[in-house]
Amino acid sequence: MRLLLVEDDLSIQRFVERALVEAGYQVDATADAKSAEALALERVHDAFIIDLGLPDMDGLDLIARCRAQGNAAPVLILSARRSVDERVKGLEQGGDDYLTKPFALAELLARIRNLLRRSSASQKEATRLEVADLQLDLIGREAKRGDQVLQLTHQEFSLLEYLCRNAGRVVTRTMILEHVWHMHFDPATNVVDVHIYRLRSKVDCDGYKPLIHTIRGVGYVLKHA
Amino acid sequence: MAFFIVYLVVAQEVRSRSDAWLTGEAQVLAQIAEHTPRDGLYNQIVKEVAELAMQEVPDERGSRGERLNSVFFLRANQSGDILFVGPGSKEVFWRAIKEAHLQVGVPQSIRVEGWYPAFRVVLQVHGGGNPIYLGLSERGARHILQTLTYRFLWGWTGTVFLGFLISYLSTRRTLRRVERITATVARIDSEGLDERLPEPIGYDEISRLAKTFNQMLERVQASVEQLRAVTDAVAHDLKSPVTSIRGTLESALSAGNSDEWRDSVAQAIEGLDRVSSLLNTTLDVAEAKAGALPMKRVGVDLPAVVTQLLQLYMPAMADKRHEVRTDLESGVVVEADLGLINRTLSNLLENELVHLPPGCQIDIRLRPHQGYAELVIEDNGPGFPPDIGSPPFERFVKGKHSPGHGLGLAFVEAVAQAHGGALKISNPPGGGATVSLLLPLAEKVLPTSFVKAPVHI
Repeated sequence: MRLLLVEDDLSIQRFVERALVEAGYQVDATADAKSAEALALERVHDAFIIDLGLPDMDGLDLIARCRAQGNAAPVLILSARRSVDERVKGLEQGGDDYLTKPFALAELLARIRNLLRRSSASQKEATRLEVADLQLDLIGREAKRGDQVLQLTHQEFSLLEYLCRNAGRVVTRTMILEHVWHMHFDPATNVVDVHIYRLRSKVDCDGYKPLIHTIRGVGYVLKHA
Repeated sequence: MAFFIVYLVVAQEVRSRSDAWLTGEAQVLAQIAEHTPRDGLYNQIVKEVAELAMQEVPDERGSRGERLNSVFFLRANQSGDILFVGPGSKEVFWRAIKEAHLQVGVPQSIRVEGWYPAFRVVLQVHGGGNPIYLGLSERGARHILQTLTYRFLWGWTGTVFLGFLISYLSTRRTLRRVERITATVARIDSEGLDERLPEPIGYDEISRLAKTFNQMLERVQASVEQLRAVTDAVAHDLKSPVTSIRGTLESALSAGNSDEWRDSVAQAIEGLDRVSSLLNTTLDVAEAKAGALPMKRVGVDLPAVVTQLLQLYMPAMADKRHEVRTDLESGVVVEADLGLINRTLSNLLENELVHLPPGCQIDIRLRPHQGYAELVIEDNGPGFPPDIGSPPFERFVKGKHSPGHGLGLAFVEAVAQAHGGALKISNPPGGGATVSLLLPLAEKVLPTSFVKAPVHI
């Protein structure tokens, strides 16, 4: 998977590039629209990550030019503009995505994965998820740890499903709110954490190896340690 | 135009007056001619009478000579003798009269060779069948009209000049006042917002301008002062986390083992998240207050949204041993931005979580009321602190011991107002705090029914 990263702030470019490389992507990073356009013509990229405020061109114009050249790779927009304007929303509806600064790397990676999944041939929708001895039956909405059936509320099941789908990857509280509760805001209190604690008390009960881990400062991860 | 009309009217009047005189005099002369015996003296008497009559020429100024010059009397008898009293030679007048074919008693204008302007002439016939002609030069009428024209011109010129003078003076006065305003504004620009324009008494445009300008200055000054207060508060609220983040990272640098610096970094990230959320909310409130929040209005089923949010918040509420009771009337639909409504309601619920001591009771009621959806959140906690002051929704207005940034309610109110609603808070006499949020109901009202919705945790 090759990604094109266009970001003029070099410190941001550096850490995003490093995070993407660590996640297993090949990355072409550049700081201006001109060279980005050249790179996009030279090589095939699976997705673009484009900052809106570029020194030589507006990011949206760069996207428009790439599209005009027949390049259909999905685009993740990075923006320091807080309230994302209508044009960006239009792009989003076209199958692309945006992320406002500052962002958590976990979220950036999740969104990239999401874009790549959307653009690739539609995967067969899983009906079962398994992580270590945890099993989720998505159709019957039943969760089992080993042989023991877990008594979960509807919300708890959705939360566990989201963690399982992202097993091994860190998810932030904002991502959890967005995908489980379909709400877009940063809670100032520990509402999400309380849900996680309750879920954890049911999933990681006595005698089982803990699966739900807190990554301080970032969020949570479900993994077989 | 008006002058032209006046001119015509006066000309008509002058002509009818001189015609009346002519007709009258001619009749008198005709009678005299009739009753006077035809002897040698006859001609003399008629001439004398005619001269006398001529001295009564109407509207005629000037010397007697001129008067005589402007009138003639002419009588012809069957034998062709012509008695003529008047200026110039009788042949010229006689020829002109003969060419004119006058009717008895009807005055008519006749051009006489060598004389200008024309004469107004009337014909009378006396008993002997001899015609008597009496003519009056139109010079008198013309003179009157000329005088009228001159006077009008003078009057007009005078009026125009006076008008110019008045408008010049008043414009100069106005411009001086504008100049004073400009000078004051320039001073305000360079020295500060404390200065005000002198407000003249009166209701003219300049006074109104000055008053409006001063009102605007009041508002600008108030906003600037508020901005300063906000900037101070933001600076304070930003500086403390930044200081702590810096300190944490610095101590991480000197920390020996990886667990210690991992902990510090996590702390720093949490601090940064708080800073970024503070920034976002500050900008949101500013944007909402400026009416610049991007809104996508859809029909929002409020009881459903509240129930969904409560499911999110219930575990946290239960952790603090709060008892939450709800009474949500179903079918209360508002036209609003769903994302903003979610954030607004979660702000209110987070307020309860943050400010209440453990083990409180929270009542949440929703009902339609006079065209609004009224959401009331009532608790039996300590209530709003008295130092919150008024108005309570200003950015950064918060209780001294309140842990938040004081942005929550400001944001809620701004969103409510952006939707055409309102936010009210109070400490009811029985204790606790009451927050009520009003949002205008959607136009299409769905059938409503009472449903007591128990919330499952």
